[in-house]
Amino acid sequence: MMDKIRLNETPVRTSVKFGINDIVLDDFTVPEEITAFDSVTIKDRAGQVTTNERIKDTSLIYGVGEILEDQVNEQSNQNIKIVMDQKNQENVELVFDFQGKDHCLVDNIEILAEEGSKGTVILKYKSSKDNADLHEKDYHNGICRIKAKKKSDIRVIVINLLNEDSRNFISLESNVEESAKVDIITVDFGGRSSVSNYYVNLEKNNSEGNINSIYLGKEDQKIDINYMAHLYGEKTNIDIEVQGALKDRATKSFKGTLDFKTGAKKAKGNENEFCMLLSDKAKSKALPMLLCTEEDVEGNHSSASGKVDSKELFYLMTRGFSQKEAMKLIVKAKFSHIIERIEQEELREEILAEIDKRLD
Amino acid sequence: MKKTNVEEINRNIYDIKNEDKYEFKIRKGLTPDIIAEISNQKQEAEWMREFRLKALEVYNSLELPTWGPDLSELNMDEIATYVKPKSKLNSSWDDVPDDIKNTFESLGIPEAERKSLAGVGAQYDSEVVYHSIKEELVKQGVIYTDMETAVRDYPELVKPYFMKCVSVRDHKFVALHGAVWSGGSFVYVPKGVKVDIPLQSYFRLNSPEAGQFEHTLIIVDEGASLQFVEGCSAPKYNKVNLHAGCVELYVKDNAYLRYSTIENWSKNMLNLNTKRAIVGKNAQVDWVSGSFGSKISMLYPMSILNGEGAKTEFTGISFAGKGQNLDNGFKVVHNAPNTSSVIDGKSISKNGGTCTYRSLVRISENAKNSKCSVSCESLMLDSLSKSDTIPVNDIRTDDVEFSHEAKIGKISDKTIFYLMSRGLSEEDAKAMIVRGFAYPISKELPIEYAVEMNNLINLELEGAIG
Repeated sequence: MMDKIRLNETPVRTSVKFGINDIVLDDFTVPEEITAFDSVTIKDRAGQVTTNERIKDTSLIYGVGEILEDQVNEQSNQNIKIVMDQKNQENVELVFDFQGKDHCLVDNIEILAEEGSKGTVILKYKSSKDNADLHEKDYHNGICRIKAKKKSDIRVIVINLLNEDSRNFISLESNVEESAKVDIITVDFGGRSSVSNYYVNLEKNNSEGNINSIYLGKEDQKIDINYMAHLYGEKTNIDIEVQGALKDRATKSFKGTLDFKTGAKKAKGNENEFCMLLSDKAKSKALPMLLCTEEDVEGNHSSASGKVDSKELFYLMTRGFSQKEAMKLIVKAKFSHIIERIEQEELREEILAEIDKRLD
Repeated sequence: MKKTNVEEINRNIYDIKNEDKYEFKIRKGLTPDIIAEISNQKQEAEWMREFRLKALEVYNSLELPTWGPDLSELNMDEIATYVKPKSKLNSSWDDVPDDIKNTFESLGIPEAERKSLAGVGAQYDSEVVYHSIKEELVKQGVIYTDMETAVRDYPELVKPYFMKCVSVRDHKFVALHGAVWSGGSFVYVPKGVKVDIPLQSYFRLNSPEAGQFEHTLIIVDEGASLQFVEGCSAPKYNKVNLHAGCVELYVKDNAYLRYSTIENWSKNMLNLNTKRAIVGKNAQVDWVSGSFGSKISMLYPMSILNGEGAKTEFTGISFAGKGQNLDNGFKVVHNAPNTSSVIDGKSISKNGGTCTYRSLVRISENAKNSKCSVSCESLMLDSLSKSDTIPVNDIRTDDVEFSHEAKIGKISDKTIFYLMSRGLSEEDAKAMIVRGFAYPISKELPIEYAVEMNNLINLELEGAIG
């Protein structure tokens, strides 16, 4: 497969010269052979998870890119269905551990939140050892479809702690019914390239979708984030907040689109993106789009980039912190209000420890 | 809420059509022969003729943009790219033929000249018919003339700059411009000369199924300053007209230039214009732009901040009504340390109009300690209309302060209620809010233009809300 593949295309194109309509990975080919992946740990006390049953639904409105979506639909080596219902409000946690021969994961996950249900699903992808020296680099390509029925309230936490040599691709999609709510939290730390895509369809009245993301890039990591929300229903609501930090030569493209459709009366959408640049070689691109064909809406976006405030750094250093430790503290402080949304303390600790490790 | 709808807005003075009289009108289409014939008509130097023919080759080799409004209705085989009016270049209005003079009279150009301008250029179809400049400026070495005269009389000033800031390879329509350009203004302000009163060029396209491709080249030398005002309009025809002008601005070290535009092309016009400024050390260029007319507009003025401490400000408003698709915005590239930019883009859409704010902010690796602040606001007056914001921010250094914010929404019910409780009708309250929304732009314009912009807003709002 020598053809260059274009991934994460924006819903509306802008000038090709701006270099943000899509991402082309020059040094990457889609692996053809998918070996088995067995290191999956499932915490599911209430019996809500079914594995090894092929997911029938192959449709995806948006997604990372056709070639990768087809691979998931045709060659997935993990198929997982999670049903959240009223009786069982237990959280579900899936850990995909890249170790030993398990270096290639193509997962297809379906989450169904039944009417009135409430719960959290955690999807964690991690590299257990640094496999920089191994011949095979870690590869993850996944789809997760979320269907939130009426009045359900569901949270999905996606954590990418893969190493910096891996490839990470993920397409998330939510369809949110009346008065239902889907909260997505993503932690995107790993991958020589990490390409993530999220589409949320707020089709019905009073539906709500929120996205809170943190990312961290170092060395030559490329991070490409593409979020799109369609607001069709009345009084629908979306909040997107993205916080990130880039060091060394890392680059990031953030594309976020709020699309208010005719009829989405009293809909509200907010999109905030902030990138901290920790090196003068790091690069940050952002395209926060607002598309609107309904008069009676409120849409806002803001985007900012800059380096760590030298006064903050100086203050911490006068208190005895080394520059590196002070920098880590500032990054963690910026990320803290998103990390604090994660209720599981153990997970919060793990994320904070990863930030320390990766910024060393 | 009661809404009245008026099908066609009376654009009064702008729609006065003169009979399509001309000295020469090139046959429709775009071939090397046609280009050579335009060049012959203009009796221009060989280098310019070769330049045009090369630009045509580039035009043929480039594709239409893969983004932005649909341009498929543009058929260059149906456009006459050169229309020479029945008038030579004059330096007195008395010598301008009556029908042409009356058009500019009704647009208020001679009156503005008498009252508040230091010089005027007036272009009718493809050629400039009137040009004047105050004697004291000439004595200070300021050159303000039509572009053809500049190419002929000042080749040493024109050649090093002509289409160097905007390359013909930049996009298809600027290549087209390079091939068929005609008319426009040339300004040179010598070192240290401050031109306190604005110069103004007005571009009027009268001929149906024709194009206007004026070239404006302004060089503000070190420590000099200038205010330049550009106006454009055309009466409405049933078939497509094309405007593909090009504006190149060179603002040298410590110089200042303010470039203001009120664009009110007719609603059969495709306005595919290119404007760019190169800004030197501690120099500043400010853009003020009001975009009201055109069926389709793709216009993104650009500042390239090449000198340390260079600055730019952009203040722009687009107002799209029925059948209009205005895809406007701004581009800035910070290429040197301590540069700064302030961008304020606004748009209003109503009656099924589409407004898009499209922009680029690029802060290069060496632009240390640069600052950029962007704000864009869109106002929707109904749900038939469309308003999109597509800003790209490309930050390539850490030592930067960059912020961007955008808002989209309708006129707040509370504000209308408040104004009505103070005795205003609903229609007046809304019009007042829209004028207030546009105020940051109108306050930057010379007073006559601010009045014209307010009139245009009133004209556009008539029948749209209430």
